[in-house]
Amino acid sequence: MDLNKNTMNKQDTQKRILVATLISFAFFMAYDFFYLQPQQQLQAQQAKNKVVQTNTTNGVTNTKQAPQVMQQNNNATVSKSVKTDNFSDIITTIQTKSSVITIDALGRISQVTLKAKQYIDKDGKAINLFTKDQLKPLEVRFEDSKLNDEAFKTKVTTSATSLDVINGAKTLTLTQTLSTTTLTKVLKFYPDGHYDIDVKTSNNQNFFITPGYRPNVLVDMYADHGALVLKNDATLEVIKDKKADETKQFVGINAVSQFDRYYTTVLYNFQKNLQVTIMPDDNQSPQAFIHVLTKINLHGYLGPKEHTILKALDPRLTDLIEYGWFTFIAKPMFLLLQFIYNIIGNWGWTIVATTMLIKLVLYPLSYKGMVSMNRLKELSPKVKAIQEKYKDDKQKASAKMMELYKKEGANPMGGCLPMIMQIPVFFALYRVLLNAIELKGSGWILWIHDLASMDPYFVLPVFMGITMFVQQKITPNQMQDATQKKIFQFLPVIFTVMMAWFPAGLTLYWTVNNLFTVAQQYYINKIFEAKKLKKAIVKDS
Amino acid sequence: MKIFNLLTLKFITFYQRYLTVLSFGSCRYIPTCSHYAQIQFEQNNFFKAFFYSITRILRCNQLFEGGFDYPKIKYDTNKAVFKKIKVKYWLIPTDDGYYLVVKNWKRNINELGK
Repeated sequence: MDLNKNTMNKQDTQKRILVATLISFAFFMAYDFFYLQPQQQLQAQQAKNKVVQTNTTNGVTNTKQAPQVMQQNNNATVSKSVKTDNFSDIITTIQTKSSVITIDALGRISQVTLKAKQYIDKDGKAINLFTKDQLKPLEVRFEDSKLNDEAFKTKVTTSATSLDVINGAKTLTLTQTLSTTTLTKVLKFYPDGHYDIDVKTSNNQNFFITPGYRPNVLVDMYADHGALVLKNDATLEVIKDKKADETKQFVGINAVSQFDRYYTTVLYNFQKNLQVTIMPDDNQSPQAFIHVLTKINLHGYLGPKEHTILKALDPRLTDLIEYGWFTFIAKPMFLLLQFIYNIIGNWGWTIVATTMLIKLVLYPLSYKGMVSMNRLKELSPKVKAIQEKYKDDKQKASAKMMELYKKEGANPMGGCLPMIMQIPVFFALYRVLLNAIELKGSGWILWIHDLASMDPYFVLPVFMGITMFVQQKITPNQMQDATQKKIFQFLPVIFTVMMAWFPAGLTLYWTVNNLFTVAQQYYINKIFEAKKLKKAIVKDS
Repeated sequence: MKIFNLLTLKFITFYQRYLTVLSFGSCRYIPTCSHYAQIQFEQNNFFKAFFYSITRILRCNQLFEGGFDYPKIKYDTNKAVFKKIKVKYWLIPTDDGYYLVVKNWKRNINELGK
């Protein structure tokens, strides 16, 4: 009878080892498939785009219909006619402190090139935010379809061919004279790369203006990208790429952003309630249009979603940094990290310091646990007796153990809550590492040059596995079952494999966490040994 | 309502089968938090079960003593049907009219022996 039960248990636990291993392997396969491969594909695509850019000269090829017109008659083939005139000519170049902005012959922002050092890619090239042949920021579409067609064939005139706003804001006027109306865009560019825009028509025409298609710098499946509307009740709605199935209307909007992982193009006005239409393009990716009744004034920003920049423009804009559904915990995590970073000045050491801080806050708790654990070490004969007596009935054994804990007033278990608390902390850090541009390309020491991507030499994950192993060794545990003990010892290996493909910053956190636990345990064990020694001496004398 | 209970129970079973290795030997209570939640979602309505399970997990840390903590439920004894049953839980009446739910251990051993 007992034999039967034991073998059954063994089989069961062996199955579990197998399943646990399989799950972890499935995880890293999935990570490779969804994360690493898209990145490689992206790089390949970017290389292709460069070729396309040098070959094509026609800027305007797509359907350029106003959203409502689009809805009414779906004869997209008619308006798809390729225009022969060259509208991608650059008519104005604007130099800001952080970027170069160009404006094309239709009065749209054609390209934004980031100048700052951290935005220069591996090949030494500056990052361009937009891809060609996509909807461009500040494109205007008229409600009147005739006027709309005409507008796409008429070049705009500019008040200046180049504008230097490095030392102070300057104004630029773009005028488009059409047969029945005149469209004027008055743009005021600021050194930090944001701008004010005043758009109006001379005779009360209604039209739409767009923040443009999202930047196309870093697009992968792990962070959201697409369009986002910020409503006047401070909630937001994200329309992800390839998920925009139908045209959607939004009212009471304060800001509309099109974004990839790190960059955004946004139009906002917190004094107005904007009406916005989100319309799918050919790939079911969202295109946002703001409805304009004869005239409007807006603010805009093109560039990286850096917390300090957005906060300086308007604190409410920091909501544009979107960490997925985990924002509510990831955002405070980022603010804590940023606070510490401002003191230390290195993101790697910031993560180390934050980990230690979290550990220190939880120290009273873990201290208590470690003390009771040590106290129970002294009772190990009693524990062994219980285990021996009830080895056929685990539940009864654990109940008897619990009685013993009660009697001794020491419960060695850490508890489920600290265990569960690890998950959000871990996940928040993961999201911050993925989504916060501040951590992109930020190094730590030696070989870690980018905390947001995996350790290229697998040193940190292996080290993490070792610390985890040591931590298990030094922590006295009451595990009864031999096979369970084996799985437990196998865990560092599983975790090493899993963590190998995670951002290095996350592995760093886990490693420091383990190291700190080991140090704590070592310290407490020392205290107890000293106490025991003292007791023994007192007894002897 | 029932469907949420069932889904939650499925999730708990999954956790117990495959994920407990990760958190082995951390619970300070008997029955463990996952067992406690299991009984709650079997016996109570979803919101009550959710509330009690969450507060149980919140209590499962070094600041609380731990030990024996069984789920408490309301049970109408008048509704009891008298027939031959397998005992899964024992209901132990408390002073305030509720019942503690205690899992029947002996049964497991007897069954396996047969």
